[in-house]
Amino acid sequence: MVRTVLVPLALLATVGSATAVPPDAAAHFEKAVRPVLVEKCLSCHGPEKQKGGLRLDSRAALLAGGDRGSALVPGKPEESLLLHALAHDGELKMPPRNKLPAADIAAIRDWIRAGAPWPEAGSPTVAPRSGERSLTAEEKAFWAFQPVRKPAVPATPGRTAHPIDAFLAARLATEGLTPAPPADRRTLLRRITFDLIGLPPTPEEFDAFLKDTSPDAYEKVVDRLLASPHYGEKWGRRWLDVARYADSNGMDENLAYVNAWRYRDYVIRSFNADKPYDQFVREQIAGDLLPGGTDAERVERLTATGFLVIGPKMLAEDDPVKMRMDIIDEQLDTIGQTFLGLTLGCARCHDHKFDPITMQDYYGLAGIFYSTKTMRNYTVVAEWHERPIAPPEVLAAAEQNRLAISTAQSVATSVEKTVHTAVGGVGASALALQQRARIAALQKSQPVVEHVMAVEDGTGENLKVHLRGNHLTLGDVAPRRFPKILADTGPLPIGADRSGRRELAEWLTRPDHPLTARVMVNRVWAGHFGTGLVRSTDNFGKLGERPSHPELLDWLAAEFVANGWSLKRLHRLIVTSAAYRMSSRPDPAAVEIDPDNRLLAYFPRRRLDAEELRDGLLAVSGLLDRTAGGSLLKAKPRQYVTGTANSNYEGYQHLRRSVYLPVIRSAVYDVLHTFDFPDPSVPNGQRTTTTIPTQALFLLNGELVDQAATALAQAVLEQPAGDDSAHIRLAYRRVHGRDPTPAEQNKVLAYLKVAVATDATLPASERQLRAWRGLCRVLLASNEFVFVE
Amino acid sequence: MNRRQLLQSTALGFGWLAFTDLLLATHGADTPPAAPDPLAPKPPHFPARAKRVIFLFMHGGPSQVDTFDYKPKLTQDDGKPLPFPKPRVVSSATGNLLRSPFSFRQYGQSGAWVSELFPHIGGCVDDLCFIKSMHGSNSRHGGALLELHTGSDTFVRPSMGSWITYGLGTENRDLPGFVTICPTLTHGGANNYSSAFLPAVYQATPLGNAATPASRVTIPFVKGTTPPSQQRLELDLLAELERERTTAADSVATSRLQSFEMAFRMQNAAPAVQDLSKETAETHKLYGIGEPVTDNFGRQCLMARRFAEAGVRFVQCTHSYKWDQHDNLKKDHTTNAREVDKPIAGLLTDLKRRGLLADTLVIWGGEFGRTPVAQGKDGRDHNPHGFTMFLAGGGVKAGYSHGATDEYGYYAVEKKVHIHDLHATILHLLGLDHTRLTFRHAGRDFRLTDVHGEVVHDLFA
Repeated sequence: MVRTVLVPLALLATVGSATAVPPDAAAHFEKAVRPVLVEKCLSCHGPEKQKGGLRLDSRAALLAGGDRGSALVPGKPEESLLLHALAHDGELKMPPRNKLPAADIAAIRDWIRAGAPWPEAGSPTVAPRSGERSLTAEEKAFWAFQPVRKPAVPATPGRTAHPIDAFLAARLATEGLTPAPPADRRTLLRRITFDLIGLPPTPEEFDAFLKDTSPDAYEKVVDRLLASPHYGEKWGRRWLDVARYADSNGMDENLAYVNAWRYRDYVIRSFNADKPYDQFVREQIAGDLLPGGTDAERVERLTATGFLVIGPKMLAEDDPVKMRMDIIDEQLDTIGQTFLGLTLGCARCHDHKFDPITMQDYYGLAGIFYSTKTMRNYTVVAEWHERPIAPPEVLAAAEQNRLAISTAQSVATSVEKTVHTAVGGVGASALALQQRARIAALQKSQPVVEHVMAVEDGTGENLKVHLRGNHLTLGDVAPRRFPKILADTGPLPIGADRSGRRELAEWLTRPDHPLTARVMVNRVWAGHFGTGLVRSTDNFGKLGERPSHPELLDWLAAEFVANGWSLKRLHRLIVTSAAYRMSSRPDPAAVEIDPDNRLLAYFPRRRLDAEELRDGLLAVSGLLDRTAGGSLLKAKPRQYVTGTANSNYEGYQHLRRSVYLPVIRSAVYDVLHTFDFPDPSVPNGQRTTTTIPTQALFLLNGELVDQAATALAQAVLEQPAGDDSAHIRLAYRRVHGRDPTPAEQNKVLAYLKVAVATDATLPASERQLRAWRGLCRVLLASNEFVFVE
Repeated sequence: MNRRQLLQSTALGFGWLAFTDLLLATHGADTPPAAPDPLAPKPPHFPARAKRVIFLFMHGGPSQVDTFDYKPKLTQDDGKPLPFPKPRVVSSATGNLLRSPFSFRQYGQSGAWVSELFPHIGGCVDDLCFIKSMHGSNSRHGGALLELHTGSDTFVRPSMGSWITYGLGTENRDLPGFVTICPTLTHGGANNYSSAFLPAVYQATPLGNAATPASRVTIPFVKGTTPPSQQRLELDLLAELERERTTAADSVATSRLQSFEMAFRMQNAAPAVQDLSKETAETHKLYGIGEPVTDNFGRQCLMARRFAEAGVRFVQCTHSYKWDQHDNLKKDHTTNAREVDKPIAGLLTDLKRRGLLADTLVIWGGEFGRTPVAQGKDGRDHNPHGFTMFLAGGGVKAGYSHGATDEYGYYAVEKKVHIHDLHATILHLLGLDHTRLTFRHAGRDFRLTDVHGEVVHDLFA
């Protein structure tokens, strides 16, 4: 780096006399310009710091400029950025805190006008900075950017192991660890049922599995669960976490997304249908551009692009260009994390600090979405794009009807005017009535045209690099393309005719893409084992974590692609491993050697997630309504779902599965929120599990728990089971799928005795219900219910 | 409230407090490996001037030129065009200069100018530290609210209170560490007090919302329908049954059971703190409680003092979306000010006389100010380019005014303080270095101040 040593001013004056600068100009510079630069500017733009990439300690440095380009045009103060910054007359205001006195600014203006003479021998040369940086060999060698190569399954001596177990065994053996023994069948059934469909097994399912002695009893359960419509509800919801799904905009203007649910149901349907993952990705990026198919398939694909529209947006932003770029940024950030496990958003203001993603990469991708219509407008309050999904003839009929109404309305209006004039009269009045009736009839017969949140291609345009992320300081054109580290193919051969989304979708789903399959198999793995092979599920970059079992990850990715990107086959592969069927009780040695259980010496226990807890409460108490699909959002299109004067959104009083409850950004349902439901404004591939007192308060006092405990108590008491012991047994079977131990039985009986006897003034039936509701609440609050072993 | 007081104050007595002991009894004297408590008090980066924060948020954007930023030139040039350009981006069309309809006078030793809107706060000016050169980046409520609360006007980020609780933990584990009373649900709603990607333990616990009267706000799920005697039986049964199945070595299961104990304590401690009936009639009067106009905000302020006193790290009171006078400036600013003037002065006086002001930082302000130019005849538009906030206590200079706007009060021009700078300064007062208070998320280390922020040392006593 070139460093200029600051020389005392007196000395510089003599040095200055050695140059070609006329003495008076030199004197002016030394007296009125240089001291100002030294005192006011160099602390940020000198040898120590170069904010904005700019130094102000030599003429060459000023000419070279910083991120915003040259700071100085000698002889032309009005074209010199330096002067505008000092004058505080534009976006850039320097010094940022206190404007210089007018006399100082005038002196610098005079100096620039005089050609900006800088009396100094041998000014250092500073090359202007431009162009894209090149990628280093180390960056190119980073593991996540290497092609997936299917490794051989390690040999396991003496027996044929499941491939997954073979990979895991190799690592465990090197640490001197052995896998835990198999889990008991009751535990395993509860585990696989929650893991695949998000609900607890029924007492009958427990009985059937425990009685089934056939060798493939477990595989039959797996197949039954994968075929259940509840599978898509559970795993679709996991996808909705990364797709930052919500039914409202959140942010500044919390407007209802009344059509978002169509995207949600599309996701659930896609999982249930085992839609190949590559197709699922293509549809969400460019479903509107994919050719062929039936009308229904075209609607389905259009609905998929809701993925691009459902993000949170600042809809009241006075700067429309900023709004547009912010929305694109949100899309890129989501796409990056969701499909690529890359934090692309970091390259908006500067080249990514850690990963080899340059600003040219960012704006190359941003151009694709700049060329895509996500919004109808960028006014305050802005409107997002929606597209009709009715067949063409319905659309035409609707349009025709609308025209008929408007014609009838103008007729009616003009007739009504004449009614009130002398020439009008009874006849006109009757005519007006007739028209009004006609309008009413037309309005009644107006065909309903449904809409989906969806994008559309606009004019294809390339963006310029936005220096420091600011749309007011533009750099070189960044032609639309993919990140160089992943696809060194140069600019896409596309023009104004299209956005490039289709190309992006095709590129993302190439079988040889190094990230798409790895990222997704890792998500599925994390869904079953609690933690991904790459723990940072949404970040495969340098600051993400390295895979614990890189070969296993690649083997799974290769299998996944080879099996036609089938998610159900992937699940089946994973859950039929011995590793998945291990006990969750660790050997103390394993905890000692591998406290995070990265090597999987035992199955990691987990707490039910928010939806599993709520759905589980409703399921065991018999309250769950298993209806699938549709909208429960109580709001008109674009209606504010939260506001100042109205209270919290209150549309949660349903007994449907949690996936169907509206997701209101910035006012998430408190029950789900309490149990770590993720922030629906950002992609989130890994739920956290906290233990906070509010969870306990909910289980002690929550209305929903009360409702479930009451229903369960009533259901148990209604059974003609006989004595208290038999009823206790029923409650245990419903909640835990097992009989109580004799010790438990005794404790519960002792509790019931006291609880039923308290408040003798109350009717006996009331005391009985209260006591049993209490017992049920305790069972529902217990660790055994709340954890999956 | 300590353990002994709690025992005295609760009908449930000893039984439940012994829960953990009971749970562990079967496993000998071994203490379970305590799961690290993310809310345990943490030492600051350097000695702190303030221990806790009370943020009085005036939602909507109070007008600086009608409250604390006295501009005689604006009165003089009333009706004339603004002699310099308006900002490139504005929220609404505005006209010429509009004088303040309110008269100003000087108060206290410091001689601070305060308009007739705030006579009670006027009486406290010698304890206040005005920042007259605040500026932000966003001219809309949503963006500006988010920026003030989280540092970002564009994305969902952890709020200031979450960062502070993350940095310092909390002093009273029977109460939440970060409380927001009657928060607004609009303009970002919970985003303004969420922990975003910070662990959920750092999010604010909301007490009611803007639509709930302060007299009725509670912590979520803190009240149920189960009678206390029955609840005690249930908790004892839960403890008994878990003893059968949980080993002391199982720290996850054990800490979950301990959270029931904590919940139980919170269930008693929080309503006790919120119970204002324990305060004297004189104190009620000081806050304006019982007077129709000031009762609601007065209760918020008194609750805030009680939470602060009980060791809550960050308390926010919101005077909900009322300060947005695009029109009816005179009438509505008068009403709004009347609702908060006495309660705020009461809070400052009360904190001071209890010795709490010394280490409690009080922050007052809105998401932006308003234009000195008129919108319509009697209104002002949003103005993030120059506005006033004030601080008090917590180690700030008392009776001081920092920075200035131009002669009309449009742009901050002297010693400008951006919202990022305010955040850096607040963290500094709490003993936290804003460049070191970081959290790694999605591939990078995030800060409250992002890549910005400079501590304004001039504000420190």
